[in-house]
Amino acid sequence: MNDGPLIVQSDKTLLLEIDHPKAADCRRVIAPFAELERAPEHVHTYRVTPLGLWNARAAGHDAEQVVDALVNYSRYPVPHALLVDIADTMARYGRLKLSKHPTHGLVLTTTDRPVLEEVLRSKKIIPLVGARVDPDTVVVHPSERGQIKQVLLKLGWPAEDFAGYVDGEAHPIELEQDGWTLRPYQQQAVEGFWHGGSGVVVLPCGAGKTLVGAAAMAEAKSTTLILVTNTVSARQWKHELVKRTTLTEDEIGEYSGTRKEIRPVTIATYQVMTTKRKGTYAHLELFDARNWGLVVYDEVHLLPAPVFKFTADLQARRRLGLTATLVREDGREGDVFSLIGPKRFDAPWKEIEAQGYIAPADCCEVRVTLTDSERLSYATAEPEERYRFCATTATKRRVVEALVKKHEKDQTLIIGQYIDQLDELGEVLDAPVIKGETSNAQREKLFEAFRTKEISVLVVSKVANFSIDLPEATVAIQVSGTFGSRQEEAQRLGRVLRPKADGHSAHFYSVVARDTVDQDFAAHRQRFLAEQGYAYRIIDADDVL
Amino acid sequence: MTAQQGEQRPGAAAAGPRTLAEELRSRPDTALTALLRSRPDLLNPVPGDLTQLAARLSSRASALRALERLDRFTLQTAEALAALPDGSPLTAVRNLLSGPARVKPHPGATPLGPADRAAVAEALPGALATLRERALLWGPDTALHLVIAAREALAPSAANPGRTGLGPTLAEATVGMSPARLQQLLASAGLPPTPDPVTAVAALAALLADRKRCAALLDQAPEASLRLLDRLVWGPPNGTVPDATRPVTAEDARSPVEWLIARGLLLPSSPGSVVLPRELALHLRGGRSHRSVEPVPPAALAGPAVRDPQAVDSAAAGQAHTAVTTVEELLDLWGLQPPATLRAGGVGVRDLKRAAQALDSSEPVTAFWLELAYGAGLLAPNGEADERWAPTPAFDTWLQQPTADRWALLARTWLAGTRVAALTGTPDGKGKARAALGPELDRTLAPTVRRAALTALAGLPPGSTATAEGLLPAMRWHRPLRGGPATAEGRDLRDELTDWTLTEAEQLGVTGRGALSSQARALLEGRDAAAVLAPLLPRPLDHVILQPDLTAIAPGPLLTPLAQALALCADVESKGGATVYRFTTESVRRALDAGRSAADLHAFLEQHSRTPVPQPLSYLVDDVARRHGVLRVGAASSYLRCDDPALLAEVLADRRSADLRLRLLAPTVLAAQAGPEALLTALRGMGYAPAAESAEGDVLISRPGSHRTPPRTAPTPVPDGPPVPDDALLGAAVKAVRAGDRAATAVRRETVTGPAATPHQNGPARTDTRQLPRSQAADTLAALQTAVLLGERMWIGYINAEGLASQRVIDPVKVEGGFVTAFDHHSDELRTFALHRITGVAELDDNA
Repeated sequence: MNDGPLIVQSDKTLLLEIDHPKAADCRRVIAPFAELERAPEHVHTYRVTPLGLWNARAAGHDAEQVVDALVNYSRYPVPHALLVDIADTMARYGRLKLSKHPTHGLVLTTTDRPVLEEVLRSKKIIPLVGARVDPDTVVVHPSERGQIKQVLLKLGWPAEDFAGYVDGEAHPIELEQDGWTLRPYQQQAVEGFWHGGSGVVVLPCGAGKTLVGAAAMAEAKSTTLILVTNTVSARQWKHELVKRTTLTEDEIGEYSGTRKEIRPVTIATYQVMTTKRKGTYAHLELFDARNWGLVVYDEVHLLPAPVFKFTADLQARRRLGLTATLVREDGREGDVFSLIGPKRFDAPWKEIEAQGYIAPADCCEVRVTLTDSERLSYATAEPEERYRFCATTATKRRVVEALVKKHEKDQTLIIGQYIDQLDELGEVLDAPVIKGETSNAQREKLFEAFRTKEISVLVVSKVANFSIDLPEATVAIQVSGTFGSRQEEAQRLGRVLRPKADGHSAHFYSVVARDTVDQDFAAHRQRFLAEQGYAYRIIDADDVL
Repeated sequence: MTAQQGEQRPGAAAAGPRTLAEELRSRPDTALTALLRSRPDLLNPVPGDLTQLAARLSSRASALRALERLDRFTLQTAEALAALPDGSPLTAVRNLLSGPARVKPHPGATPLGPADRAAVAEALPGALATLRERALLWGPDTALHLVIAAREALAPSAANPGRTGLGPTLAEATVGMSPARLQQLLASAGLPPTPDPVTAVAALAALLADRKRCAALLDQAPEASLRLLDRLVWGPPNGTVPDATRPVTAEDARSPVEWLIARGLLLPSSPGSVVLPRELALHLRGGRSHRSVEPVPPAALAGPAVRDPQAVDSAAAGQAHTAVTTVEELLDLWGLQPPATLRAGGVGVRDLKRAAQALDSSEPVTAFWLELAYGAGLLAPNGEADERWAPTPAFDTWLQQPTADRWALLARTWLAGTRVAALTGTPDGKGKARAALGPELDRTLAPTVRRAALTALAGLPPGSTATAEGLLPAMRWHRPLRGGPATAEGRDLRDELTDWTLTEAEQLGVTGRGALSSQARALLEGRDAAAVLAPLLPRPLDHVILQPDLTAIAPGPLLTPLAQALALCADVESKGGATVYRFTTESVRRALDAGRSAADLHAFLEQHSRTPVPQPLSYLVDDVARRHGVLRVGAASSYLRCDDPALLAEVLADRRSADLRLRLLAPTVLAAQAGPEALLTALRGMGYAPAAESAEGDVLISRPGSHRTPPRTAPTPVPDGPPVPDDALLGAAVKAVRAGDRAATAVRRETVTGPAATPHQNGPARTDTRQLPRSQAADTLAALQTAVLLGERMWIGYINAEGLASQRVIDPVKVEGGFVTAFDHHSDELRTFALHRITGVAELDDNA
């Protein structure tokens, strides 16, 4: 029994005691293959999954390193069966390779003939492959490069893709590092990506993912297609690119519901890509509109299913995925792995926070007690109405007022789900409300006013959840949400985690109705935040009022 | 038996013992002890004297048992002895095993190298000593006697060449051959004729045994014949030929086989097959009995990986700890929910699956733990009518022991046990899957194989790993005959068991990362394994780490009281080296239900947490405690409600109400253990005027009890006579009476004459109405046909299908196909009568 910081559990989770002197070393060696699942204060939980192990293989680690890491840092003996399993799983990666053959084009080759025999017998593989060139090689239809990778991953034999990339149409792009420089971790992320060819960079909200994208473009120096979640986000990207690179306004096109520009750098929204007209995706031609050298996917964890399908056809182009989390609520992490690429860089929030790039946050749940008459109405409400009822209870208003008053010097965001409630709050607090019907122009105007501190309180609906940049929001008050989604939580937290000019800590309040489903959802949220390593307190409304 | 036969044997040296019994008699007591130790079956019952012992030793069953327990070289030595004539000297055995020295062998034979020869020479005395010790062999080195039963079992014959692949001797193979044919063989082989068959065989045998002459003879053989011999030389020595018994001679031999048959180089063993005589085979083999003689055991083959012995011990200790906790967890589970015993024994697949799920493990592994617990006496069927598997009292004792001792019990059980968990789920003889803990999982070979495999592993340097393939050659050498039945894939039971042994050893922590642990070595050597294991086990901890995400992490095994307390107020989320507990509303409530207070829980967390108790956790405990018990549930038989609290207080204070067991629930409500009736009566008795209340709260109007039955029908009156019939009934009755009367009283004219006529021939039969008319069938038919023609009314006797006789008056309409269709006056309808049922007919009197 040695005195390591790591404990290996039978369900393949790894517990890392972070107060241990060797914890930092240990984290470094296990990070390549184990996915950080929970990072609460004292003991972090990592999970070893086949995808994680294959990510590690893709990054050039071998089974021996993984086993050594476990054995060396584990406090208790590691079950032999687990080590064998790890070695077996890792050995599955790279038995099959996709590559370019001088005469046959795209081919699937193997170093282990029985594996090839096994996969070729699969019904799903048969339509994707052509003639058998020799016992170890089979021709793959070039159009099925993505498909076959997806299917092989599902069969448990992920293929390594050595087929290379087309350079695309060259276009000069340089970073303009005047008065700012890439942060070291951003630099590492870009290098990791470029070295790997294609893949995903995982960085927390506010850690400067856009810059990683820009730097990757500067590396590629070719025409680029950027896919983002919505129009606001598209504008944000454009703004940032103009500011940080040699690209000019005219070189960047926006391809959205309102504008259809195709320029050397084109920013398209997921929504327009997935719009169907007469049963077909109307804007697919965008992918072929230019000879793109790089495709950037913003918020990969939100990538809609049809985009995966298009992406399967784009395997010859370099792909960069940017995200705050690899966790997808639809469980399609495997598709991200096979179609966009393995994880190329990842840093836990806490570490980047410790480096001072994102603001520390104080998370606080305020529990309000419903009045007796509200409790009675709540008890009799229809099940589907219950959440709405307790989430929009009038009692919350007083608490929000008190919180806003407490932080009156700070820039405060109030985030909610229900428009009525938001309108009411806007009225009471005399603050503008941004919701679905607010025009983009109006939104940007209000954001700008908020940025310049003309207004200090802004009430936003879920439309503001993604990719808006509100650098000076130091307080966020959440009054209602979409049933405790973890993804939403990450985004909302991101709102207040952007670096603060004055460096003082951000506050994240959730106002929750006690003894209701609202509280149950809050429990998910609490768990998520605590698992992300944030201090979390629960206080009663009376302590605020 | 052997003893008697031995006495008749002339070959024994005068100085040596003449029989096995005699030799046994001369052995010291220690040798006899050794003999009985190696062959314990001889002790049951204890033989009366040495002659009896010798007889018992020589019985086939006992000798075979002893042979099964020989190692490969000793067995080969015994086989060589069996291939030699009885009473051969040691040198003959050695020559047979390694080939005679300094003799030019047959061109095709591969002689043994000098190193191997030396090894054989070195190992042979040991092998002979073993055979002697087991009393399979007796006599001095100059005249060795294999006991008859062993010789019979091992001697090569045409039907059973054994592992030597040799055939019968020339003498044995020519038994029953005609003297003329023998002379033919002699002639064909180029030998002079001899006076009798015995000398003929001897001459042939001498030819084959003489290396030079035999070689000369074979030199003349056609190439094809030599190739044929090559195919038979290492056995099996049998070949199939169309006509083996045809007396071919050298002259008329046409085929290569016949060339050999003509010279006695192949001898017929049956009409369709030939056999290579032992003497020739030995010549061709260069005098050797075994193609590969293995005087030394093959070394167990270590795998490529060599582990640090210390890492091995700790890995095994970790697994040992897991084994103990897993068995504990499993039995705890079955203690709460004992699964039913199948009718054929064992547990059902579903119960096994459920247990596997609870352990978060696979079914085969779960079956292994179950068998282990069963074997160790910790788990057993409870023997009740509705039989279930449950932990035994020994389990409770076991739980009190230190972990190392608990493991030692499991490991000892496994090592010596015959239960083979890996057979669970495999099809039995009838193709049904064998149930876990079922009756068909015992294999007597299992403990031998387990011990042999671990011993082979122990023979490797510390830290060496090995696969079954690496261990099996050595194991096969040590017990060549004990492999068990082979499977379809050509693997015998021992191969399977070895695989399973290695897997199970790893599961149980006997091996760690594939290498044998020190604690397992102690176990094998019979030392105190628990003492070796104890210091390697992780020390139980008295603290946990509490985290803001409402988890508690026990970074190692916990002291039992702490583990139990924690399991009460939190749910286990993951297990392994550490245990992760999660606090939830439900788990905290469970602790409160179990009688803990919020303050207890706070103190408990405070005391055992190495880190400050996170605020959300304290809040959770308080929040659950705040609501815990706010709603109260109890049982009462009735209640007493009053808007005037003073009145209720008065009732409660009244001593007469004590029997009602009243309790004030609220100022205006009393609960009573007495029922509503009793309460009402008692209150009235006390001078109050209570009113009863319905479930909806309405006042029940109280009236003297007025009972009702369920709906009932009125009883039917019982009259003193039958009811008055109505007209229709009467009319019908009259008609029936009339018809019957007409039939009975009809004045008949007998149409029938002859012997069958009724006795009342002289007058109409009016006196006896029961008398059925009788007439001949032909007369009946004629009379009826006439009646049809004339439209006359007839009187008939009729027997219906039930055999009832009746008389009827009918108006026949037609007679056809054996039936009469007629109007029957009795039933007043047209109907048919079967002719054969009509007993007779009579005409009616016209006057009637």
